[in-house]
Amino acid sequence: MKLRPLPALAALTALGLALTGCASGTGAAAGDSAPNADGTPKALRIGYQAIPNGDLIVKDQRWLEQALPHTKITWSRFESGGDVNTAMVAGGLDIGLAGSSPVTRGLSAPLNIKYKVPWIFDVIGDNEALVARGATTIAALKGKKIAAPFSSTSHYSLLAALQGAGLTESDVTLVDLEPPDIQAAWARGDIDAAYVWTPVLGRLRTTGKVLITSRELAAKGKVTADLAVVRTAFADKYPKALTTWLQQQDRAVKLVRADKAAASAAVGRQLNLPPAEAARQIDELVLLDARQQQGARYLGTAQAPGGLAADLHGAAEFLTAQHKIPAVPQLSVFQQGLAAKELGDAFPR
Amino acid sequence: MFRAVALRAAGVLALLALWWAVAAAHLWPPVFVPSPGAVWHQLVQTSTVHDGQRGYAGHLLAEHLAASLRRILLGSLYGVAGGVALGLLIGLVPTVRALLGPLVTFVRTLPPLAYFSLLIIWFGIDETPKTVLLLVAALPPVAVATADAVRGVHADYLHAARSLGAPRWRVPLSVVLPSALPEVMTGVRVAVGVAYTTVVAAETVNGVPGIGGMIRDAQRYNQSDVVVLGLLVIGASGLLIDAALQLAERRLAPWRGRS
Repeated sequence: MKLRPLPALAALTALGLALTGCASGTGAAAGDSAPNADGTPKALRIGYQAIPNGDLIVKDQRWLEQALPHTKITWSRFESGGDVNTAMVAGGLDIGLAGSSPVTRGLSAPLNIKYKVPWIFDVIGDNEALVARGATTIAALKGKKIAAPFSSTSHYSLLAALQGAGLTESDVTLVDLEPPDIQAAWARGDIDAAYVWTPVLGRLRTTGKVLITSRELAAKGKVTADLAVVRTAFADKYPKALTTWLQQQDRAVKLVRADKAAASAAVGRQLNLPPAEAARQIDELVLLDARQQQGARYLGTAQAPGGLAADLHGAAEFLTAQHKIPAVPQLSVFQQGLAAKELGDAFPR
Repeated sequence: MFRAVALRAAGVLALLALWWAVAAAHLWPPVFVPSPGAVWHQLVQTSTVHDGQRGYAGHLLAEHLAASLRRILLGSLYGVAGGVALGLLIGLVPTVRALLGPLVTFVRTLPPLAYFSLLIIWFGIDETPKTVLLLVAALPPVAVATADAVRGVHADYLHAARSLGAPRWRVPLSVVLPSALPEVMTGVRVAVGVAYTTVVAAETVNGVPGIGGMIRDAQRYNQSDVVVLGLLVIGASGLLIDAALQLAERRLAPWRGRS
């Protein structure tokens, strides 16, 4: 085939134009447009995940839409924190939900995403656990095949659990599988154990034995959590909208405590679950209200950033050992990554 | 000849220069457009043992590639064998054509990822479902090409063979297949190409080692430079394989385009 120079040149130019066209498109992200007359943002783009916490209640009850009537609120569902990170880098989201592992990656080089953690949706409790067949202790898993969705909080917890039992990664065979595939492999007997979350965890528990849960690991200092991340530019430009958002989240946590039936009905509607099952899944999570989150263990205050920064720092050490980030950032990077001031502004003492 | 080579080299260089320029202009963060230097660095990192880490995810780049090529080879072999047999049957026996023709077309239009989860349930998480997926992907192009070629064989050839005394059972293998060989070879090239694109889907489940598994893992950690490296390796090895198949085609059916 012969290429005639002129059409080839034209094609290259067209490609170049298309590329620069994309560039300007990325720069003018929808959330950066001028605010409404009352100072609220024109648009608020939220990335949520199907996790039975307060975020789904806020979405179901349309509290944000009611509190910010002049703002166009878009809810996009994400399957993993990695995808939320990608969307944040692209400037396509204002507020998102990601696990502590992806948020650690986002705050570290090379990603260095400009976002902060203003809220903890939930601390992972009994909804993620290590289940095994034919082993009653973690140490007995030596030489066995264990599955987990890699890069997730489960992956982090699995390696922490192995480490706690004196095993290293090379003592076992780790398999990277998504939850539905874990269920299939478990049913066929292809794997001996798995660290996974509900609802697949529920199926595995019926034929296997729970060796350790994330709640127990959290008690030993290996905390995993589902975190909110807000684009720093958005938080700086629309502090009032962020305050409104935080107040709705706090309201949802309080609803879970005050009226379990209403809360589980809302979560059930969002997840297509019967309310009783939704209630059970909510109970497996540790939900914290604003006061608890302002405590020294979690987000802390603007003057004294909380212990969550140390949890993220610990996760960064783990990721560096896994060769997933080049170096462990300073603890101060994660302390600055906590939006404790914004939380304090929304809930003054 | 020289002109053709020079043009190709210039094309590759122009693309490289464009890539370098776009990366150097920092229009996007490096997560979107990793620089050629970063990708080169990953090529070195994934091909060596460094600070106790062997290549990427415990395997060298060459091992990832070898694992994927092995899957492609196995899947394509089974797919080509099955496709030629099926194509002969469909082309020669009208009843089989009526029975299986629509089925082959049906399977051909299915996207691999759509039915891969079923293969996982049926065949587990190890090599079997991957090979089966590639087989299912590679078989229809060969079957369709063979069936069409078989039906297009000149009736004179068949009559000549019969009147020269060839027994009926020898006709398909000694006359029909050789005569259909050029089209079959085209089908094989298409099939290997399909298998190559499908291997990334096959390696979404327990795919390490494997070049698709490597890309997927890197994607989850937003390591775009490794993703680009994987894509380049897939593209380059695909080109080499296609060149080898073209060579085989010229050797096996040198009469192509002269009849």
